[in-house]
Amino acid sequence: MNGRRMLRSDYACQYRAVDSPIHRLPSGWKMLISAALSVGIVVVREPVPLIILTVLCFSYYFLARLTLADLWRDIRFFLIQFCILMSLFLYKYGYPAGIWPGIRTSLQITLFFIPGIVFLRTTQVSAMMKGLRRIVPYRILFLLFTSLRFVPFFAREMQEIIMAQKLRGARLSPQDIRRPVFWKDLFSCIIIPMLVRAFRTADEAALSAQARGMGAHADRSYYDVRELEKYIAGRNRTAAAGAEAEVERMKEMIE
Amino acid sequence: MKKEVTFLWNRFSLREALLLGFCATFIVITKATLRMKLGISGHSMFFLMFFLMLSRGFVRKTGAATLVGLLAGGISIALGLAHKGPIIMLNFLLPALVIDFAGIFLPRLTSWYPACLLVAGLAASTKGASAAVVELMAGAPGDIIFQKAVIEGLAGVAFGMLGSLPVPPIIRKLQTNRLIPSP
Repeated sequence: MNGRRMLRSDYACQYRAVDSPIHRLPSGWKMLISAALSVGIVVVREPVPLIILTVLCFSYYFLARLTLADLWRDIRFFLIQFCILMSLFLYKYGYPAGIWPGIRTSLQITLFFIPGIVFLRTTQVSAMMKGLRRIVPYRILFLLFTSLRFVPFFAREMQEIIMAQKLRGARLSPQDIRRPVFWKDLFSCIIIPMLVRAFRTADEAALSAQARGMGAHADRSYYDVRELEKYIAGRNRTAAAGAEAEVERMKEMIE
Repeated sequence: MKKEVTFLWNRFSLREALLLGFCATFIVITKATLRMKLGISGHSMFFLMFFLMLSRGFVRKTGAATLVGLLAGGISIALGLAHKGPIIMLNFLLPALVIDFAGIFLPRLTSWYPACLLVAGLAASTKGASAAVVELMAGAPGDIIFQKAVIEGLAGVAFGMLGSLPVPPIIRKLQTNRLIPSP
């Protein structure tokens, strides 16, 4: 696989692992910048401030080393919105009068979402969660983490169930699923087994979490690799300094 | 005897909360899968309504659908599946709030077809509400916002109602097999 393909994003708002000043910013600062830009975008009405904010918004986007292809992936959803809004404005105000308000509103809506998109594109899940720890109760975060953890698990389970049901003769190929006649098969062969699996997994996970002392204390401890690395590095430095001092002391004693 | 772990002001047990978390996971998985395969506006409401209504049927407590909406929004943001950025949370939360609110007055919401269809339609009509909020802030006229919300909402309502159709038989089937408690 070549490097260019690896750098390309597969879907809109996907995290892009490159090094940029925006990537290096703490998530709190990014949230603040995003909020400020979004508020600024919705309050302006005149062309000049809007152009300035547009430039600022796109500079923020490209400063994060995101490409034009990424931008297309991120904002192509707004094209349909643009078409609907333009036709409604032209219908209401007529041909020349409806163009500027239509373009302005569509542009403002698209720009409003760009700072948030930059936040998603430049912030890793772990950094997001670390920031959230201070404001969201840990039990909600536990649920969020657990649900996230089970996304690949259930995706895999679904594939296995589909495969098994296909082998049993269920009509679940992409061509069959397009025909409403076979939607009953879809529910009885995939959804119900998946739900039964979810019930069993919820039982097992709840039992497992309780066995590990979940909820035993008001606060929760976290296993943070970075914090652990910092702690180990600190301890090593202290030990090295201690050893050096000991060597110096020994030398002095010998002399 | 060890005290049971509870969530959200002691409303849900750990098992219930995890089950609701899995419903949120299913919403995200189906949303991600369908987004790549289909290209019809409003189709995401099909599985969103299906799983939100199911979650309310699994856990018959006010707040169940809201918790699923909250978690589905959080997972979408964390996985970068939110093409509207963090404001996508509203797309999940608003229908969930409608379902929970309706559930207060209609306890048989998920096992009675008319109520299920009506509430799913109402909840799905909130599609486009997040965009309407932004349009309102951007200074678009009220009638244009309303017309656009109607255009976007209609497809959502149709898909949402379709998505809620399989909920009553599934709930009944699960109750018959004692996987969820009967009312």
